[in-house]
Parts: sequence; structure tokens; C-alpha cells
Amino acid sequence: MRRLGEGDRPPAAADAGLTVSVTSAPAVDGRRLRSERTRHLIIEAYLSLLRDSSQVPTSAQIAERAGYSVRSVFERFPDLMSLRIAATDYAFAKSTADAELRDLDGDRSTRIRSQVETRARTCEAWLPMWRALNANQGDSDELRSRVRLARELIFRRLELMYQPELSTLAEPLRRYTLIALEALTDFESWGRMRENYGLTIEEAREVWMRTIDRLLPPTPSA
Amino acid sequence: MTDAVQSGDGGAPARGEGRDARVDGRRLRSERTRRLIIEAYIALVRETGHMPTAAQIAERAGYSVRSIFERFPDLTALRVAVTDYAIAEARANAALRDLDADRLTRIKSQVNQRGSGCERWLPLWRVLSADLSGAPDLQQRIGMIRQLIVMRMEMMFRPELSLVSDAVRKKIMLALEALLDFESWARMRELYGLSFEEACAVWVKAIDRLLPQTPA
Repeated sequence: MRRLGEGDRPPAAADAGLTVSVTSAPAVDGRRLRSERTRHLIIEAYLSLLRDSSQVPTSAQIAERAGYSVRSVFERFPDLMSLRIAATDYAFAKSTADAELRDLDGDRSTRIRSQVETRARTCEAWLPMWRALNANQGDSDELRSRVRLARELIFRRLELMYQPELSTLAEPLRRYTLIALEALTDFESWGRMRENYGLTIEEAREVWMRTIDRLLPPTPSA
Repeated sequence: MTDAVQSGDGGAPARGEGRDARVDGRRLRSERTRRLIIEAYIALVRETGHMPTAAQIAERAGYSVRSIFERFPDLTALRVAVTDYAIAEARANAALRDLDADRLTRIKSQVNQRGSGCERWLPLWRVLSADLSGAPDLQQRIGMIRQLIVMRMEMMFRPELSLVSDAVRKKIMLALEALLDFESWARMRELYGLSFEEACAVWVKAIDRLLPQTPA
């Protein structure tokens, strides 16, 4: 494996962090790889435009940023909705890979810190994408199902990280606590702290850690 | 504000003896037209959850598209006027109650008021705050709504917040704001299928945990 260099792809996508296998495969494999790479670079261009402007980019902007023609974009994606869905899947795959469950057996404060650090990293990286996804979900059942899936994963993760504390609560209090935790650590909660109140990443994490600690019931003794 | 929107300019105009009375009558009719356009916008948003077009607003209000643009230079100006109307109505219906009551009563009072507000204004909030680019007046008003929500919580929970340092108070307020956000309410109602009472119970429990002890 090697990292793509300036000579391998358009300069606009040089920070994409994309890697490809280098093999002496038959010509058809080469074409498929190039097509896959183009597809990846278009998705990366879409995501980087979202990060830059928070506006849903046009096909012309995406093509320009990726270094391809508009026609190339629509050769790989029948319409912009397909591109949005592909970008969403790509973002979910990347964020899931970056959010491995850690410190499940740690003490209370270790688990809270671990959860908050992971969640903060995800929010910091994917907030513009999340906003675009929410803004467009009304147009597509597929986008709606992905938003729902993402929320289920966030919910499930909270359940796993705070299982010892939550196990001490009867229903419906257990579920109520999870719903409150989910609201407090939502993307827009992070966005407000960073954008509206100008908190640093560390300060924003502190708010979440303190809040989660207060919301959770006492940790049962081992 | 009512959801039913009257149509046309019907109704007897105010009649006066002189020129001033005619001017007043015209101004009153113009004001009423403006209000009906705003109410048509709000009614359409509540029904569809989408930003209405000028043609839809005109049809619902019973006026021509031209009448709309005689009163509002563009749809962004109309959105700003709708926001001002909503803020005025929400403020009128959100009188501070139970300020001197015990902790639980104050929490429940705040949650009930906020839950009712979310229930009533969520579709409009979503439409108005969806795209603020190029609309500084709207951005300013959205910011003002957020400030009003925070100020209200600060007043309702003043006894508890008075016990902690500024730094801690700020953290608590950030958490309360996130918890009582419009979309937090929407998720409880739409995604998790909670009833109004259940959603209120989630907020009551969480606020009770987040607030410091009440001073004796």
C-alpha cells in the first residue's frame, strides 16, 4: 500500500488521505481501480466542500474541487442524491472505524472520558456532514434510514459504555437517562459549544464529562 | 394567533370623517393583510413542514403574489417578519410562573412550558433556522430566541444556580440548553415515540440531576 501522491490525483483532493493497492493487475482491474479512485475523490470533494461552506455543494463545485468534469460526476452517480447517500455511507464507515469502543472495563471517570473523547472527535469531524444529512433527509427514505441508524448506534454505544450505572435503574428511568444522555451529546450540542459559545475542544469536552457524571446514577460497587 | 386564515380583504373598512380617518383605514387594512400573509406562512409550515413558496402563501392568504411582494421585498424579509410574529406570540404565552415555588414545581413548570413551546413551534423553528446564510436579520433573531430560552432557565433556576461559581453555572446552562433544545424534544416525540407526558418526564428527571442542590 502507498499513499497517493500529487501525481496520482488532482491537487484539490491531495488532503483526502486515500490509499490504494498497487498491483500489476490486468488492464480491466486497472480501469476498475481508477474508476473507484475517481468515485472516492468525488465523495471526498463533496465532504470537503461541506466542511468549507456548510452549504450543500452543486455538481459544478464538486467537479471543480475533485478535478473532474461534471460529466464524470454523473457517470459515477446518477444524481446528487446518490452522491449524498454514497458520501453518507463513506462517512459512517470512516467514523465507525475511528470510534472503536475502548475502556469498557475502565472505572467510571475513565469510561466517561473515553466516551466523550470519541464522541467529540466524531462531532468535530462530521458536524457539517451531519447537518447536510439532516437538511436533506426529507427528500430520501435512504437518507432517513441512515440518520436513524446513526442515532441507534450512538444510543447503543451509550448503553454499552455506561452499562454498570444504567443497570441499577429500573425502566422507564433507564431509558429516560439514555435519551437525556443522547440529547446532551448530540452533534448540535457540540456545534453550539464550539460555534456559538467559542469553547475550545477541551472546554467543550469538560462540559460533557461533568454533565454525564451528574446524569448517571452512582456506579455499583464491584 | 389562529391556524385558520381568513381570505380576502373583506369586512367593513374603518370609516372616518376626514383624510386622517381614510389614511388610518388604509393602514389598518394593510396591517391586516400583512398579518394574514404571515399567518398563512405559519399555517403552511405547520401542515407541510416545508418552506412555502410565494404562490402557496398567496393562495392560502387569499391574496395575489403581488400583494405579498408589496409588503415584503422578498421571502427572506417575510421569514424575518414571521419570526418576529412568532417571538411575540411565544413571549405572550410564556409568562414566568411558579418562580417562588419549590424546586420540583419550578422544574415541572419550566418543562411544561418548554415542551408546549416545542410542540407548537417546532415545524416553524426547523424552517426558519434551516438556512441562515445570507440572512443576518434572521440569524440575529434565531440568536435572540436562544438567548430568551437561556434567560428564562436562569430565572427559573436562580436559587440553585446562585450557589455555584460562574464557570460551573456556565457548564450547567450549556447542558440545560442542549437538553431542552427543539430537536431534543422532536427526537423524543418522533423518533422514540414518547407521549407529551413521558417526554416531559425525561426532561424533569434530567434537570433535577443536573441542577445543584437547592439552598435551604
